[in-house]
This record gives sequence, structure tokens and C-alpha cells, in this order.
Amino acid sequence: MNIQYKKGVLELCVLSLLKKHDCYGYELSEYLSMHINIADGTVYPILRKLKSEGLLTTYLQEDSGGPPRKYYSLTSLGREVYEKERAEYLNFAKRVEILLEDDNNEKK
Amino acid sequence: MKKNEFLSKLADELKKKNTNDTDDIISEYEQHFAFKMADGFSEEEIAAKLGDPVLLASQFEDTGEYKISRGRKVTTAIGLGIIDFFAGIFLVLLVAWGVIMAAFSICSAGIAVCLVGVINPWSLIPHMPYLPAVVLGISMAALSVLSATGCIYFAAFVRQLMRSYSRFHQKTIAVASGRVALPSLGIYPQIQAKINRRIRTVALFSIVLFTTCLVLGMIISMILSGSLEFWHAWGWFGYEIVN
Repeated sequence: MNIQYKKGVLELCVLSLLKKHDCYGYELSEYLSMHINIADGTVYPILRKLKSEGLLTTYLQEDSGGPPRKYYSLTSLGREVYEKERAEYLNFAKRVEILLEDDNNEKK
Repeated sequence: MKKNEFLSKLADELKKKNTNDTDDIISEYEQHFAFKMADGFSEEEIAAKLGDPVLLASQFEDTGEYKISRGRKVTTAIGLGIIDFFAGIFLVLLVAWGVIMAAFSICSAGIAVCLVGVINPWSLIPHMPYLPAVVLGISMAALSVLSATGCIYFAAFVRQLMRSYSRFHQKTIAVASGRVALPSLGIYPQIQAKINRRIRTVALFSIVLFTTCLVLGMIISMILSGSLEFWHAWGWFGYEIVN
């Protein structure tokens, strides 16, 4: 699938996971590549973009042993944007599904 | 592709694009390698799954989020220097107070030993019968323990205060130069509950022992000397013994 096409949807997926709990980058990358077929490295540019837009903040946390990890956390703006875009996307996806399945039926 | 090759290629591409904060991005990928390698993947596998570094670099938009002017950095540094100066003076005072408490504790212990052991260096200890001397000696020993526990707690407090302050220092610099900051540290020392309880018990016990023995010692002195102002009767502080 086209990467630019996927990117907007991936942003939504990242936000949805962060809405549940704060994550570090690797956690998000693992989670996404488990569900969606993308290169592991793709999530980092997305995180950076979302952060620069003010939807995410980062903080470091020292876990037992090892260097401090960089955690990503949803801001209140991020929460707002997520809810709005989630509704828009679900609505859009429903329409697309109707269209595409309609096409399928005609061929039969 | 090996880890180093992947990272240096990515860094080169990012620099070509003039991306801000390249190091921050690279460190994210470094961590990714570290996590994956801990799971037993080879460097080549990880690099392959991460994707093409050239393509990845192209996905980083030059967001310009960390464009912090040099002026702001300099102002922060100067301000921080001034704060450091005053905090330093304050710290010297705190440490001096700790030293005074420690000296007080040692002196009390010394007096206690002299009173109980009937040692009178340079005739510093005024004359008194042995019984009140022992009781007062015990009270001085308790005072010594009390000030020692105070000293220990105070030292823990000053130490935590210094750590907290140095974290504040690091954070301020990190924020001014656009790096990610570590969270603040509290100023109260985290002492284990068990140790905390023990210190409290010792302090409480020594307060009670100190006051009881002090009062008891004075009462005994009054009885033995037959005078409320026993220091007059025993000729302390330069008073003449009146017979």
C-alpha cells in the first residue's frame, strides 16, 4: 500500500494506542507492526510529527536498570483531535466500504 | 546491513535534509536496535525490518520545533548562574548547621563520659557529688544521641535537596536547549519506612531520657545540697561557698 496513504491512518492508530496509556517508541512500533504490515521504522517519523503538532508530549522515565526511556503521552489537544478524526475516519471508512462492496456485487 | 551502517546512513540523510535534532532521532533507532537485539534478533534482520534509511529519512519533516534562539540559551545560562550563586550560599549555611549539630552531639557525648567516668579535664566540670553527676551524665548521653539522630536526618535532607537542585539545573538547561528533560525530584528524602520508624523511636526515647534525667539530676542536687539554688551551695560559676 502507498506509504503516504497509510501515514494518516497510522497517525490515528498511534493516537488510539496512546489514549490507553503512555508508551515508549519501541512499544508503539511493535504494536503497529503486529497489526499492520509496515516497516518497523515508520512509526518514529510519525511520532515526531505528532509531537511537533502539539498532540503528544514526551518525558523521560528511569525504569529499573538501563538508560531512561522516552515516553510519549497524549496532550489534551491530542485527545480532542483524536476523537474528532476517529469519528471522521470511521464514517469515511464506512462509506468507502459501501462503495467498494457495491462494485463487487455488480461484477457478480 | 549492520546497525552502525544503518544508523550512519540515516544520520547522513537527515543531515542532508538539515533536520533539527538528528541525535534525538538516531537515539530512538538505537533504542529500537537495543530492544530487538535483547529479543534475539540479528542486526541485519532488525535493519531490514526497519526499512530503507533513505526512505525513512525522507519521512521526517523538518518541523522546526526545536529552533531555539541562542539569545534564549544565553539568558537562561546567566539566570541559572545567578540562582546557583544564591543557592550555593544557602547550601553553605545548611552544611554549617549540620556541622554545628554534629559538634554539639560529640561535645554532649564527651561531657557524658567525663561526668560518669569522673574525669575532669582542665577542671572544666564543676564540683558535684557522684550521684547527680551520673544522672546528669545519662541525660547528656541522651542529648548526644538525640542530636546525632537529628544530624542524620538533616544530612539526608540536605543530600536530597542537593540532588533535587541539580536535577532542576539539568532540566532548565535541557529545556532551554530543546532537549527532553528528566522529571523533577522531590526535596524530601526517601527513607525506608523501617529505618524511619527506628530513627523516630530512638529520637523519642532519647528526648524522654534527656528530660527525665535532667530534671531528676537537678532535684537530686537540690536535695543533696539542701538548697534550691544548688549551684550557689557548691560554689559553681565563681560563687563563693558560704558556710
